[in-house]
Amino acid sequence: MEDNFEPKIIGFLCNWCTYAGADLAGTSRIQYPPSIVPIRVMCSSRVDPLFVLTAFLRGADAVLVAGCHPGDCHYQDGNYYTRRRFACLKKIFDSLGLESDRIRLSWISASEGPRFAKVITEYTETTKKLGPNSTKKEIFL
Amino acid sequence: MRARALIYPAGDKMKEKIGVYVCECGPNIADNVDIDKVIEVISALPEVAVVERHKLMCSEDGKKFLKESIQKNELTRVVVAACSPKQHEATFMKVCESAGINPYLFQLTNIREQCAWIIADKAEATERTIRYIRAALRRVPYQNALEKKEIEAKPDVIVIGGGIAGLSASLLLACGDRKVYLIEKANTLGGKVKELDKLLPRMESSSNIISQKIKEVENNKDIEVYTNSEVTEVLGFLGNFVAKVKTNEDKELELKIGAVVVATGFGMLDIKQIPRYGYGKYDNVYTALEFEKMNTEGKILLKNGKSPKSIGIIHCVGREERGYCSGVCCTYCLKFANYIKSKLPNAKVFEFYQELSIPGKAYQKFYEDTKAKGVDFIRSQDIEITEQKGTLTVNYKAETQTLEPQNVDMIVLAPAIEPNSDADRIAEMLKISQGDGGFFQEEHPKLAPVSTSMEGIFIVGCAQGPRNIPESIVQAQAVAGKIFSSLIPGKKLEPEVKTSEIFEALCIGCQACLTVCTYGAIYFDEMKRVCVVNEVLCRGCGNCVGSCLSGAISTKHFTTIQLHQEVVEALR
Repeated sequence: MEDNFEPKIIGFLCNWCTYAGADLAGTSRIQYPPSIVPIRVMCSSRVDPLFVLTAFLRGADAVLVAGCHPGDCHYQDGNYYTRRRFACLKKIFDSLGLESDRIRLSWISASEGPRFAKVITEYTETTKKLGPNSTKKEIFL
Repeated sequence: MRARALIYPAGDKMKEKIGVYVCECGPNIADNVDIDKVIEVISALPEVAVVERHKLMCSEDGKKFLKESIQKNELTRVVVAACSPKQHEATFMKVCESAGINPYLFQLTNIREQCAWIIADKAEATERTIRYIRAALRRVPYQNALEKKEIEAKPDVIVIGGGIAGLSASLLLACGDRKVYLIEKANTLGGKVKELDKLLPRMESSSNIISQKIKEVENNKDIEVYTNSEVTEVLGFLGNFVAKVKTNEDKELELKIGAVVVATGFGMLDIKQIPRYGYGKYDNVYTALEFEKMNTEGKILLKNGKSPKSIGIIHCVGREERGYCSGVCCTYCLKFANYIKSKLPNAKVFEFYQELSIPGKAYQKFYEDTKAKGVDFIRSQDIEITEQKGTLTVNYKAETQTLEPQNVDMIVLAPAIEPNSDADRIAEMLKISQGDGGFFQEEHPKLAPVSTSMEGIFIVGCAQGPRNIPESIVQAQAVAGKIFSSLIPGKKLEPEVKTSEIFEALCIGCQACLTVCTYGAIYFDEMKRVCVVNEVLCRGCGNCVGSCLSGAISTKHFTTIQLHQEVVEALR
């Protein structure tokens, strides 16, 4: 494992909760590792499981999907669909022998700036332990 | 995936002229990001036509600078690296529009909240800024120009249910330019409130208040009242509903309206379902509404014509069975004690309650005053009513000590408030959902308590959940506010632009998207055997995209290819 390995995390953030939560972490000047590249979507349910898979196969060291807490979805129940799709995706990852630890679903509300920073910090740490994503080198599509 | 790429031919990259604008945001970004370095790197990219910086892009001066630069360089796409889209996306979209470029051909990348402010190391923040701008640059050629739509909207409203909530909403809504159709199932207006004698906590006459409201409604030339009538069908969307109403002459009426207010009120739990209360089995066991009626008619009497010497009032009937507190029973049971004490000062009154729920600024005093009149409050559980030789007995478990069963002459039961018996039919007709207890589900319990998932359909009063009279009126007024601000007479509606769209050629008609859509915005075209998005109803969440196995759906401005390009560049 490389010592100075800085993971690249793709974060699909829902516009109403998590993206706003990330903004709040910024306005509160909370420092967290610069590992995540945020991709804004209107709802976490917009995240086609294929996006996660593609990002992973393209070499993302980890992929985060984050949205409103269950029951708080701006679009009523989008995040419940996300949750179900994500559970399937985890199974698919496992059955294909891909590292399902590298994908994660989190609920972060617009008021949870500190939580956003904490989730990213923790996730960066666990991803560091996993090392770089080798999928890019090993899988040919 | 291949099919998806085909639908969106990439913009002709050679022809696109992309401009990148970096905002310093005063010291906010400039202090933490080496903007010179950013500009140096970005200018070297072949797809970029122009890179500029400004001290404060959202200022009047900054906006003018941006507009002039877009026009001078004849740009076709614009990337602004500044603050969060939640701050100034709309601002810069307006600038783009004024510079003659479609606002959806612009992308704002957030280098302040999610970059400059969270990274202490300047070199690192600079590197990240470049990455963000590159991702936006890669996305922007794939963005499509979107046009704002405008649709005609009718300001008129149909109100279903002529109880206190429906009457209040109708009175507020009917004003000059707006017609209100008030549809009532029963043969008179007034609903349940008309059946009450006095109102809490001042014990004023209910009939004065309700008949005043009814008179106002009937005299209002902008309100058309249909009693003995029923709404049988509602189709359409905010601003453009068509409702069918079956009137008392068995005629069918077709009304064109802009919004629907559901004020269908409540029903009461059928206590016969819970035999231990003895309702229907023993004489002198009454429901709350029966007792209210008896009191209104003048005398509180037993079946044998004598006055009762003792009365037990039982709260929380069906609370456990239904799974919620109806909220209004405790207070009206206090009122009943007052009825009894004023008509039969010597009668003993026992209030059997599980939990006493008397919130609000007025009721505590009312409770204390009632107690002072000699009313016994007994906290009790597992109530069972038995009868022996005409005497009713309340058997119960008290909380702290064992108490003897209480003999009384008369019992009044306060049953749980239930959704109206029509609720299922109405939910199905309006395509709104039912939540806890079968009441209509609001769009959001805190933030949108009177709207539903169907834009333009509102719920007020007990249709939405157990409510007292002031709460119902507050809701009616809230709905009037919602309608006033969304359906302005003579003004057109601007529906969401970033909606989903389904490509006919790829759709196999499996209807998976139809089942996941909360807003009923997707319908199945029987002729073409494909699903179609109703762009007026769609809110653009994109849930349907994830459900489509054929890759036939996309959400405008968040298309698969756009997001894909962003991801790919971010990973490079």
